[in-house]
Amino acid sequence: MTNAIPINIIRFIGLLVLQVLILKPISSGWEGFIFVNFIVYPLFILLLPLRTPMPAALLSAFAMGILVDAAYDSWGVHAAASVLTAYVRPLPLKWLQPREGYNVNHSPTKKRMGLRWFLAYSSIMMGFHLLVYYSLDAFSPIFIKSILLKTLYSFPLSMVFVMIVMNIFNPED
Amino acid sequence: MRGLLQLFAAYGAGMLFVLLEAVSLTLIIQYNQRQGEIATNSWGLLTAYVDRSSDWLADYWGLKNEVIKLQSKNIKLMEQLDNARYSSLNRPDSLGRDSSERLFAFTSANVISNSVLSTNNFLRLDRGSNYGIEPHMGVISSDGIVGIVRAATEHFSQVMSVLHSQSRINVSIRSTNYFGTLTWDGRDPLFMQLEAIPRHAKFVVGDTVQTNGYSQIFPSDIPVGIIRSVEEVAGNNFFNIQVELFNDLANVRYVYVVKNRMKKEHDELDRAAND
Repeated sequence: MTNAIPINIIRFIGLLVLQVLILKPISSGWEGFIFVNFIVYPLFILLLPLRTPMPAALLSAFAMGILVDAAYDSWGVHAAASVLTAYVRPLPLKWLQPREGYNVNHSPTKKRMGLRWFLAYSSIMMGFHLLVYYSLDAFSPIFIKSILLKTLYSFPLSMVFVMIVMNIFNPED
Repeated sequence: MRGLLQLFAAYGAGMLFVLLEAVSLTLIIQYNQRQGEIATNSWGLLTAYVDRSSDWLADYWGLKNEVIKLQSKNIKLMEQLDNARYSSLNRPDSLGRDSSERLFAFTSANVISNSVLSTNNFLRLDRGSNYGIEPHMGVISSDGIVGIVRAATEHFSQVMSVLHSQSRINVSIRSTNYFGTLTWDGRDPLFMQLEAIPRHAKFVVGDTVQTNGYSQIFPSDIPVGIIRSVEEVAGNNFFNIQVELFNDLANVRYVYVVKNRMKKEHDELDRAAND
């Protein structure tokens, strides 16, 4: 269990590179079709080990968000959404708690928890993250229609990438 | 120091969360043009709203003082009117000397509870015997008559509204001076019924009804309402007249209690006449 930190550092860098170098050009390639944005980097927050102290989770989520912001030139938007996503993570974990409980040394991965569990967990978290991200991007409730449309279109595409990443690497922790 | 550490251990995550969100939101507003403009605009709207609210509040408090000032001004003027004075002149005095004396005195009061829905309605005023209010005094508003004081304690008084099944107000039709009694049938709080106007009386719909001062409770010549409809009932010597009141008793707030300074004399006269 001592290698949880290096694993997460590697995942941090890997997801950041994937998001910034591959998914960002794909997203901006769909010119004019502004509703779609592939977002995968929150997977890092989703897969943090269950015993991660909340301050550490918040700080690493903030770091991830601010680095993505640097690439997207949207200072603070991804960071704010990431910090909020990290802060609410205990809630879906509580709702989806298996009868026998969690092993706090594990990460909530597909391999550990099963496909169905992971689908439910990642859908809630990614949906929430996208909604918060687009809300902060629009920054006013009068754009509610566009916020919901963007969330609706980006959600399945982002989930596809999340599941692809999980299937390719299928990490245990 | 240890307390501080304990505090941080207990609420550190929440504090860090708020701090990081504050940093993020500051970054959003500072470095993103669109969001920054929205924030500036919203902030402007908010401050404008707060400014307007505080203006409204200041107006409101100022208004309260203004009402009190106007009430005392009104009382001064009302007490100088002819119908509030007892004139001791037989002929107009060419010297213009004031040869009348005060007959009616007024006290301002606020309505603190009211009803118009029952058949016997009462109001409560925030002035009582400390201000010289006694039972059987009249209560008027700036638009008409309100009721008659039924009981008074030190700080409060209970007023029998004119909208009461027992209420009987002596009134006259302004154009012809025929007098009758105003009663209430318990239905519409805007309409009262004028009784005892004889069949031979001449008037038209739209004539004004005013107090006549016979009861010594209200000064004379206070406009009360307008005749809205007249009905002749077979076998009855009097008209059935509907009078629409000038004042809406459902929203009366500021009233004046009327004191007849010569009431004692009237009572003595009544007693002497009955002996």
